Amino acid sequence: MKRNKKFLKLAALFLIAMVLTSGIGAATVSAETPYRTYTVDGNSRMEETQTAYLAHATLIKFGNEFLSAPSDLCVAEDGKLYIADTGNSRIVVGTAEGELLKVIGKGTLKSPRGVFVTENGHIYVADRDAEAVFEFDADGNVLNTYNKPDNPLYGGDRVPFMPIKVVVNDAGIMFIICESNTNGIVEISPAEGGTFLGYFGTNFASTDLQTIIYRAILTDEQRAKMASNIPATPDNLAIDEKGLIYTVTRGDEASTLKRLNIAGINLINGANLQDVYDLSPAAVAVGNHDNVYVASAAGYIYEYNNQGEPIYVFGGRDDGTQRVGLSTQVTSIQVGSNDEIYILDSDKAQIQVYEPSEFTQKLHTALYLYSKGRYTESREPLTEVLKMNSMFDYANRAMGRAYFQEENYDAAVKYAKLSKDKTGYSDAFWEIRNIWLKQNIVAAILIIIFLFIAFKVIKVLDRKKGILNGIRAGTAKIKENKLVSNLLYSGYFMKHPFDGSYGIAREGRASWNAPSIILVIFMVEYVINKYLCGFLQKTVREGKYEIFSDVGTILVVIVGLTACNYLVCTINEGEGTVKKIYTYFCYSLLPYVVLTPVSFVLSHVVTTNEQFLITLVQIIIYAWVIILGILGIKEVNNYTGKETFKVICLTAFTILIVALLIFIIYVLWAQVFEFISAIYGEVVYRLGY
Amino acid sequence: MAIKNWKKMVALLAAVSVTAGVPGVSYYASATSVDDAAAGDAGAGDAGTEAEGEGEKEEEKQEVMDNGEVVMKNAVGKKDKSEWITMKDYEVVAESDTYKMYLYEPTLSIMLENKETGKILESTLSDEKDDGLSNVAWNSYMKSGIVVNAIADARSRNTYQLDLVNSEHTLDVTKTDNGFSAKVYFKEYQLGLTMNVSLENDELVVCIPDDSFVEDKEGAYISTVIPYPLMGYSFLDEKEGYMLIPDGNGALINLDNKEGRYVTGFSQMVYGSDVGFDDSVVKEYLWDMLDMVKESNKVLAPIFGMVHTDDQLGYLAVIEQGDKRARIEAQPNGAMVNYNRCYASFLLRDVFVQPLNNSNSGTMIKAEDDRTHSDLQVRYLLLSGEDANYSAMATRYRNYLLDNNMLTIKDNSYNTRVDFLGTEREDFLLSTRAVTMTTTENIEEMFAELKENGVSSLLSIYKGWQKGGLYDLPITKYKADSHIGGTSKLTDLIKESAEDNYNIYLYGDALRLNPSTNGLNFNMAKKVNKRTYEEEIWAEVYNTFYYLVPEKSGDAIKDLADSYLDKGVANMAVAGISNNVFSYSFKNSFYSRPDTAKRYSEMLDSIDKDTNLVLEQPVAYLWKNADAFLDMPLGSSDYMYIDEEIPFLSMVLKGVMPMYSDYVNFEANKQEFILQMVESGVYPSFYLTYENSADLINTNSSDLYSTEYSTYKDAVAQYDKELREVNEVVKDAFITKHEKLGSGVVVVTYSNGVRIYVNYTNKAKTVDGVTVEAMSYSYKVGEAE
Repeated sequence: MKRNKKFLKLAALFLIAMVLTSGIGAATVSAETPYRTYTVDGNSRMEETQTAYLAHATLIKFGNEFLSAPSDLCVAEDGKLYIADTGNSRIVVGTAEGELLKVIGKGTLKSPRGVFVTENGHIYVADRDAEAVFEFDADGNVLNTYNKPDNPLYGGDRVPFMPIKVVVNDAGIMFIICESNTNGIVEISPAEGGTFLGYFGTNFASTDLQTIIYRAILTDEQRAKMASNIPATPDNLAIDEKGLIYTVTRGDEASTLKRLNIAGINLINGANLQDVYDLSPAAVAVGNHDNVYVASAAGYIYEYNNQGEPIYVFGGRDDGTQRVGLSTQVTSIQVGSNDEIYILDSDKAQIQVYEPSEFTQKLHTALYLYSKGRYTESREPLTEVLKMNSMFDYANRAMGRAYFQEENYDAAVKYAKLSKDKTGYSDAFWEIRNIWLKQNIVAAILIIIFLFIAFKVIKVLDRKKGILNGIRAGTAKIKENKLVSNLLYSGYFMKHPFDGSYGIAREGRASWNAPSIILVIFMVEYVINKYLCGFLQKTVREGKYEIFSDVGTILVVIVGLTACNYLVCTINEGEGTVKKIYTYFCYSLLPYVVLTPVSFVLSHVVTTNEQFLITLVQIIIYAWVIILGILGIKEVNNYTGKETFKVICLTAFTILIVALLIFIIYVLWAQVFEFISAIYGEVVYRLGY
Repeated sequence: MAIKNWKKMVALLAAVSVTAGVPGVSYYASATSVDDAAAGDAGAGDAGTEAEGEGEKEEEKQEVMDNGEVVMKNAVGKKDKSEWITMKDYEVVAESDTYKMYLYEPTLSIMLENKETGKILESTLSDEKDDGLSNVAWNSYMKSGIVVNAIADARSRNTYQLDLVNSEHTLDVTKTDNGFSAKVYFKEYQLGLTMNVSLENDELVVCIPDDSFVEDKEGAYISTVIPYPLMGYSFLDEKEGYMLIPDGNGALINLDNKEGRYVTGFSQMVYGSDVGFDDSVVKEYLWDMLDMVKESNKVLAPIFGMVHTDDQLGYLAVIEQGDKRARIEAQPNGAMVNYNRCYASFLLRDVFVQPLNNSNSGTMIKAEDDRTHSDLQVRYLLLSGEDANYSAMATRYRNYLLDNNMLTIKDNSYNTRVDFLGTEREDFLLSTRAVTMTTTENIEEMFAELKENGVSSLLSIYKGWQKGGLYDLPITKYKADSHIGGTSKLTDLIKESAEDNYNIYLYGDALRLNPSTNGLNFNMAKKVNKRTYEEEIWAEVYNTFYYLVPEKSGDAIKDLADSYLDKGVANMAVAGISNNVFSYSFKNSFYSRPDTAKRYSEMLDSIDKDTNLVLEQPVAYLWKNADAFLDMPLGSSDYMYIDEEIPFLSMVLKGVMPMYSDYVNFEANKQEFILQMVESGVYPSFYLTYENSADLINTNSSDLYSTEYSTYKDAVAQYDKELREVNEVVKDAFITKHEKLGSGVVVVTYSNGVRIYVNYTNKAKTVDGVTVEAMSYSYKVGEAE
């Protein structure tokens, strides 16, 4: 009876298992995802976008085999999955549907950390504890074992051989990342049972100014305590069909992601790629459309184009809510032939499969065409992409370039501006300006000639009949006004700084109102120039205004400069009063006030080609302002050149000290205030409100 | 001389910096930081299980055996068979036509027997099924009919488990006509309550009246109360069946062997978390700004269910009272113990961190001054025979709501929903300027075109119509922004388009207050610790929003309704208050979630009579006020332990109230979305602007990345045609049956006999002689039952 029951139970179990396994193939994609997808716009700002990849299937076991702390995954070209099942010391081979095909290396492997499968089906396993890389054939027989190279260049006894990741190129050369080996990627050729070829793609230790200063002043003992400055070892690597090696290195900032050619040269120009990489990348994979994927240990998945510029970031950390598509400890990322992404999570011991959405598929087509320079062809898929997300930066940029090729310059300018593509904008704008010039050049010349003649005629008439006498008398009267006269004097100061300074010092030209007016005009021009200048010159991002802080900064600088300079001058036998010093500092700003309108107008008409015009004007402005300031200090206080230099240095130092003092006082008071408020709060609480 | 001076300066500077370096005031900081650490620890514990108790701290680690069972440290082991409490020890206390209720007094354990089949639904762990793999605390938790967690020392943030097996208590059971009433008093902490259990036909009602709670000891309080934490449990995969959880539209957790994969299961506050209390989980942001993980769905209805398919037995539990501060838990096997269980846990009093100053360097941990006052009542609607499935649950729940006037049948005619965004704001110089996306004239033009394209009726929510744009909140009077054409034009538009059956509803968030547009307003809700609640979002223009206290929300919405009605406008779309409920402090009083819910409910009752009200994703107690349900979720929160997503809420509400989906624009896989709408009887929604959405890039709505009308006008007409056709066939019928066939086809049967077939696979399938193309749907008209 009891047996019978057991049998029934077994039968039921079997039936349930049947139902379950048959259901696996029909797993549906969930339309909603627990994570968001972001993309980066031209301002390096993240924007939410359409879901790029949808969490599809989750593989927790192959046949009846569970994984234990798996650390690497390799998806072969035929779609088979090879998993370095570290906890069980084996390689598991299965299908994306969860069928178990083979188990390899049981007994041979100790702690397999990395697995790679070549086109001919050979399986390379990096085994950390066995201190070897094994090469298996497709049936699981060991073909070769590569142990620690005995080449002295490897590093001798001090450098252990603990392989954790491996990739192999077409020639069978292995690129191996080893634990505790900071020299770089170990490159071993299969010749003669393993020949050490050298270190590949070595990272450089970064040295900043602070470290250099510290090193110079610290004792040996202190220096030894400093964090060691050895270069970071790459955390993971991948290889593409051309044999280029991709590496990710944590904490390497702009060169976190590298694309290395066979000579070990990084092909990604990291100059503009600050803050687009994860701080702890765990794995990298090469996509099918000239794109690269990076997964961070925390579960964020990034897609980059071949220039290392970000396209998407999605996914996220599972904080214990156990939602599909979030990860806890990612150790590997792979891309299948249909752009599906496989994420191996060692903590959850599972593989999460993501499928590209319609949107991503279109985008991939478009960006691929675009990267190959087939702009016009790419316009149709781009239009589709932009329909689905009109703010998608890459699509906008590509669209701008496509329109440029079609000579639709107005549209090109519009899209270039949307995507902050300055080169594209400049090219298209040049064309537009060119067309405008062609059409209007005759009219423009005629207007100039007409104005010139009119000017001459008026001048002649004035000489003969004095038609401008009335106006002249009026202006003369206005000039008598003290304020106006002081304002005009600033122009004199600008042109004749020595005489001008004398006037401020001795002839009562120092005042409060005239310099203040110039300061206000300066502020207004500064703000207008900053926010409304031409697109190519703009340094601040569209739609963001910080006018209060701009004006505040200018005020603080002027007031601080005047005050500190006054303090230093009084103890250095200078003749300047606060009013005089304020006057010459404000008057010194006049070149900016006079010339900025020129650069402002220029900024709206020049392209990158004529950029030097604006740069020239700006250099003139800055040089002039600085010279006026220095001469003002010298002449008004009646200093010699040497004294002037000393006073300027002292003023700079005083400003520094004052800033520090204010900071310290602020910190102290904040602490005291907080202490008192905490006591008050506690007392009130103890007394029961 | 100068040199001398600056030497002095350096000396002074050095002296100052030395003083600053001395940690003179750090004593206080370090003394309080201990508190903070304790708070952090306890916070982590909170997220765990309810059965926290003495000596249980180190039991976190558990092992998983090969057969999928989990084993705890210090497991009690199996009881000797001679000591088992069995059916013989139970006595019959109530009987109805279908069921017999047995009671074992000492633990208040009950069993429900189906009189026809003899199958039994157990409420507590029986000795026979006890695997002996849990520790003492868990074992007694599972064997007790009621479990109370007590706060004894708020500062430690620990709660202590009190149950009827392991805690010293007195118990006084009185039999009633159809059940019993049990008075429980726990001696150690001097707490007590009375639990009334009655069998009313095929409904089991468990009630703990508010006035029965006793807290005699100073500093010892009741924190949570869990009646029957194992009601209808099953061991591993011994029974076929599933648990129903109210996540998203609805989801099932199968009663199969989970092999220890899930450390926790579903655990959510009904109607969402409480912003009045600090979140114990700190959100993680990528690069300190990107919120990568979406919030999980809110629990919109206070229900959970359990079905034992092979026993043809099950229940749908409705939390009737105390739902505002209840938590629904559904734990699959492997989550601490090897039993599948779902239950409601009522929170009466919580502990919180009270900062003593603005920098939060000093804090105290306190328990709430008063507990939440409300009866606690769970009604188990028992299901047996053919009815032991989720389709029958939906029908039962619908009837329950209709019978109790918690829902009335509304006009269910089909509309496509097309929402518009009027104006938004972007930063400009010292202030902001309008970004106008859709004016009243634009709408007129678009309506005319849609009409021409065959869209015969429309529901349209106009967002950002008010003066100052979308986020100028709160809205207190009917005054349209001049950029969209002004109030009179808007009024004309609403009236004229209504004649064409195009109904425009004016959208308003009645919950939020934007301090940037309404600076001088002190009516914002404060948290339990008397700090103003701030909703922080990473946006371009407005980063912070406050919540209005419910009184003021009420005033604002009443004023607004009056102001609408003056102009003859009666269509209102209300958001914010429709699915948010929170505790708050205001003017030295503290209000709990039931108070807030009551006020919102009354407020909507008062304007419901005169206006046509549609609500954005309303929670269950506001369904009666809504003429339409906006933003009905079509999926779940994607929890790993969910085995199947089912359109449960849609099955309840189809034919009662029209439901509109989330916006189609932002869906990545549109075909699948259509299929889901067909399956659940939900109508499609679009969010459109006349101008290109790229204009919004510098506004708070920069996440609207694809809304341009010209892109979507064909899609609107096409969706309208397809879904109108299906829904015309269905008309006002209810969904009576929903089943997923093995072939991957979903069949939905309506009360008028219509059957809809939805094929989510990539191959054409034939069901009932109807061929359904891949990723497509089909329907068959039949006879009404």
